[in-house]
Amino acid sequence: MESLDPRVNRMKIGGFDGELHKEAMDQLGTYEVFLIPKDGKPLESVGPVHASDAEMAFVFAKEAFSRRFECVAMAVCPTASIFPSPVSEADISAYDLVTIPAETEGENRQYEVFHMNKRGKFHKHVGSVEAIGDIDALYKGKDEYGVDKPKNVWVVPTGDFHFNAEEDSDLWATLPEKKYRDAIFYKAGEKIQRYKESVNS
Amino acid sequence: MENQAAKELLYKMADDALIIGHRNSEWTGIGPMLEEDISFSSMAQDKIGHSWALFKILNKLGENEPDIVAFTRNAEQFHNCQMVEFPIGEYNFSLVRHFFFDLAEYHRYEMLEDSSLGDLAQLARKIKGEIKYHVLHAKTWMKNLGNSTEEAVSRLQGSLNELYPMALGMFEPSPFEDQIVSDGIFGGESELMSKWRSSVMEIIDQTQLELNIDGDWNPLYGGRSGVHTEHLQPLLDEMSEVVRTDPAAEW
Repeated sequence: MESLDPRVNRMKIGGFDGELHKEAMDQLGTYEVFLIPKDGKPLESVGPVHASDAEMAFVFAKEAFSRRFECVAMAVCPTASIFPSPVSEADISAYDLVTIPAETEGENRQYEVFHMNKRGKFHKHVGSVEAIGDIDALYKGKDEYGVDKPKNVWVVPTGDFHFNAEEDSDLWATLPEKKYRDAIFYKAGEKIQRYKESVNS
Repeated sequence: MENQAAKELLYKMADDALIIGHRNSEWTGIGPMLEEDISFSSMAQDKIGHSWALFKILNKLGENEPDIVAFTRNAEQFHNCQMVEFPIGEYNFSLVRHFFFDLAEYHRYEMLEDSSLGDLAQLARKIKGEIKYHVLHAKTWMKNLGNSTEEAVSRLQGSLNELYPMALGMFEPSPFEDQIVSDGIFGGESELMSKWRSSVMEIIDQTQLELNIDGDWNPLYGGRSGVHTEHLQPLLDEMSEVVRTDPAAEW
């Protein structure tokens, strides 16, 4: 029997020889979402959304990633704009795993640098550098911020971000009052206990 | 008779928000894509929140508790415009309704920011950011789909034509129109409609869509005075099912 499980099909278990690739354009591309949870905190990566363009990505990102908890500002960039370093282990800095030579030609432009300090944690913004290319930006990042020994580094051209305007920070003004969107808002333990007792007695 | 003009305004705003909030929440789980499902559901929840806040103001003016007002009235006691009670239809219908409705909400609340009714002015300022998002969402979709495929454009065009007369029903003049303006509570439905029409056309003009706002349209009035379509009562029955089953239910 032919499996319908994409994991099985992708690995060609049982000699599956059907088409493995999706048709081109059958779904939208992804944008990476970044937010600032509260004033004074750095911009951090929180996940991706599918969208047709940056404006639509921002619209989706706002509810997908800031309908709960805290947020004061948000930005999106095409996932393809992110240039990641290799991922390191233990005490090794991800910067030290970058061995390919930097670009030698190109216009200087600004990049934003993000560090992941522990596996599985969000990438957090550490600052900006001027560089002539993606790899050059990683080297410039190492010079500026390498002392942190991150496990992974992202560099992203600043111009590829779509930010909310300063005056639109009120998009999140009522967020602190939406605790009901959180499961922990509902203290049901006592009620469940009472219900169980009433059923058992 | 005190506060009657203010109450009429608050009831129609609260009922609009409650009914469209309930309708739009019907998309939860079946939205056209996951991201949109989440956005549309969140905005529907915001609308229910707005209705609750407006019912709280009414409560301070002597009306019943929000839950009682929301869940125990019959269709003819509701003052929402008829547009918001129509079934969700296909997504183009819900999207165009959201576009028309939220552009009006934006201007209505903006006009209310300096209302002489202090609680209402305060609410208008407080939820400004929420409405701003609702409008951003609606405009972004209209501009995006209104410039995309032939199918998208023709679906939206059909919904624009169908919904425009319904949308005009949002601005059905109140019997207290003069009083509400002279009391400084609200600038009035006709001023609101003119702001709304400009905003609607500003977006339509950036798309392949067309809308002849000066055409011979017949506004769908009646909702403000309790005249409704056959769609409202079933919605209310469903919305109040828990309360009718167990009036003391808590969660």
